[in-house]
Amino acid sequence: MNSMEGLVTQIQGLSSTASDVLMLQNLLKQANDSLHAESTRLLPFLDQLDPSKHSLGYLYFLEACTAGPITKEQASSYVLIIARFLSSCVSEQIRLASHKFISVCKRFKDQLVLLGEPLRGVALMLTAIRKFQSSTEHLTALHPEFLLLCLLAKSYKTGHSVLEEDIFEVDQPKDLFLYCYYGGMICIGQKHFQKALELLHNVVTAPMFAVNAIAVEAYKKYILVSLILHGQFSTSLPKYSSSAAQRNLRSLCQLYFDMENSYSNGKIGDLETYVQSNKERFEHRLCIFYQDNNLGLVKQVVSSLYKQNIQRLTQTYLTLSLQDIANTVQLSSVREAEMHVLQMIQDVEIYATINQKDGMVRFLEDPEQYKTIEMIERIDSSIQRLMILSKKITLTDELMSCDPSYLSKGCRERQKFDFDDYDSVPQRFNV
Amino acid sequence: MASSSSSGLTFKLHPLVIVNISDHYTRVKSQLNPPPLTSTSATVNGVENQQQAPRVYGCVIGVQRGRTVEIFNSFELLYDPSTHSLDRPFLKKKQELYKKVFPHFYILGWYSTGSDAQESDMHIHRALMDINESPLYVLLNPAINPTQKDLPVTIYESELHVIDGIPQLIFVRSSYTIETVEAERISVDHVAHLKPSDGGSAATQLAAHLTGIHSAIKMLNSRIRVLHHYLVGMQKGDIPCENSLLRQVSSLLRRLPAIESEKFQDDFLMEYNDTLLITYLAMFTNCSSTMNELVDKFNTAYDRHSRRGGRTAFI
Repeated sequence: MNSMEGLVTQIQGLSSTASDVLMLQNLLKQANDSLHAESTRLLPFLDQLDPSKHSLGYLYFLEACTAGPITKEQASSYVLIIARFLSSCVSEQIRLASHKFISVCKRFKDQLVLLGEPLRGVALMLTAIRKFQSSTEHLTALHPEFLLLCLLAKSYKTGHSVLEEDIFEVDQPKDLFLYCYYGGMICIGQKHFQKALELLHNVVTAPMFAVNAIAVEAYKKYILVSLILHGQFSTSLPKYSSSAAQRNLRSLCQLYFDMENSYSNGKIGDLETYVQSNKERFEHRLCIFYQDNNLGLVKQVVSSLYKQNIQRLTQTYLTLSLQDIANTVQLSSVREAEMHVLQMIQDVEIYATINQKDGMVRFLEDPEQYKTIEMIERIDSSIQRLMILSKKITLTDELMSCDPSYLSKGCRERQKFDFDDYDSVPQRFNV
Repeated sequence: MASSSSSGLTFKLHPLVIVNISDHYTRVKSQLNPPPLTSTSATVNGVENQQQAPRVYGCVIGVQRGRTVEIFNSFELLYDPSTHSLDRPFLKKKQELYKKVFPHFYILGWYSTGSDAQESDMHIHRALMDINESPLYVLLNPAINPTQKDLPVTIYESELHVIDGIPQLIFVRSSYTIETVEAERISVDHVAHLKPSDGGSAATQLAAHLTGIHSAIKMLNSRIRVLHHYLVGMQKGDIPCENSLLRQVSSLLRRLPAIESEKFQDDFLMEYNDTLLITYLAMFTNCSSTMNELVDKFNTAYDRHSRRGGRTAFI
């Protein structure tokens, strides 16, 4: 106990300037094992430390405290302590002990899940992320935890605010996978299918040496979202996805691929029977769709088929009666057809006018003339963003050209080809 | 040989003269057969150094009104190396022809090319003194110096100075300004913007065009900034208020906008948007191509199973 007391006084003394803090860090590293040994008795010492001034020391103590298994009663008290710490800690100090901070936050999340109150942690995790990341483009291990809390608490809006930022730096690949997967799910929950598609696409095409479970799950959702949004799905993955993904993902998600086939026929009856049959076939084994928790999405896919069919009609007809629409799309009544078309006009998916007197729908062109000042501003801002992105990509490209593994492999391959062959290893020098 | 002239005459040079001289020189140089030797090969055939930079000669004509001498035009003359003088009968004939077209123009002097005025030039200079009692000597330096900011043209006058007790005629430098007429400005513009190397391709012409516009706008911007700074100072009270200047600024501002109608606005916005869209598209293409290369490099470096044993199928 004396060593603990001594440690506490040292923390209190050495937490003022940056050099002192570094010294303190060394001391704490050495004392780490003794801290863990005393983990059950550290709680009273925490009261002597102030989290805003002695963040580093507090963090070490806290991490040692929460290291062991925790019961439900302890969990609620710990949650309060950690909450107080997260809201008042200082970012420079906690960045010095990043692993400990991450593990403390993870345990915080586990305890909240244990208590069944994920909503309490959402705002706190957000502050923790903001204090921990070095810039808004930095993806930390805390991001997926935060998104998981948002998902469990169904607070999609807060999660969405974090997803808005572009990521350029990642700490660990697993973070990226989880982040994009959870992010995709949050966007699906908010019905932002475009953004969900992007995020899921990132998971599927991320570099990986062997297929991992997250990618498989993401791929299944990816197929479904792509069907909802675009009405079609390209079966081959783009060139920048890893070869492991290209070869293996298809076989693991065969069920969804077949679904895509019946979707593209455009007949709602076929699709529904397919879904039904798969539900029944695996019912005693908990049907596949349900097991993947994708049943909700699958139902949305089915309803989106109507939309795709109506949209296909806009390309053939200029005007069409509601009765004809109902017949072609296999809707049961005129009223349903009208509801569908109205919904689509509201969502700006088609441009049309409904004449209620004679039940005719007239399909119009996109009224955007591209002559307005708002359009100018939009294009201008897009160009600016693109310029920034282009600079970043050129930088990464140059870094890549100097990468030793690239140079060794690239140069070796060149010798096999004649000069007439297509140059598979591009070597363009930026002038 | 050169100090500054003390005759008090102001010289105005028209760009046509400069273009003429440079044209003459370029023509003679390119028509030389064999082509002039470079300095390295000159050491092998040490004799033919003269060939390196052919000198061209001609006359400059213009008007002298009071103390202002304005040089408008020039024509070429043949130089007779045996007598070290210009071809006089030819000069007379040309002079008569020019008199018919431009009755007001007189022969003001002569021109030549080279890096500096030489002793032999005084000979020619003296010979011309019977036509014009104080002729001018315009010298163009054809060496291309990319760091040089001014025009490589110098005007020399002759003055009688006493050197070592002997009165001698020597060349003294005079300052001059460039004066243009509207028609000349257009032609100079035209010449300046067609680069000699590959002026035909659309890309360089577009780039040259845009560069011109860019520099023009930059200059306009800096001048407006000066005005703005001045007005802000006046507003704050640091500078005394000058009403005449304010009136001028206000009249300048009232000149714009030049057109204000709905149709103009429509067309203007449409064209603006089109240009922006094309820029956007160009940026996109550029970005995509960089991305593509990055992906290729990444795949080569890190993808274990792809590039081994021959290339994958490319289109």
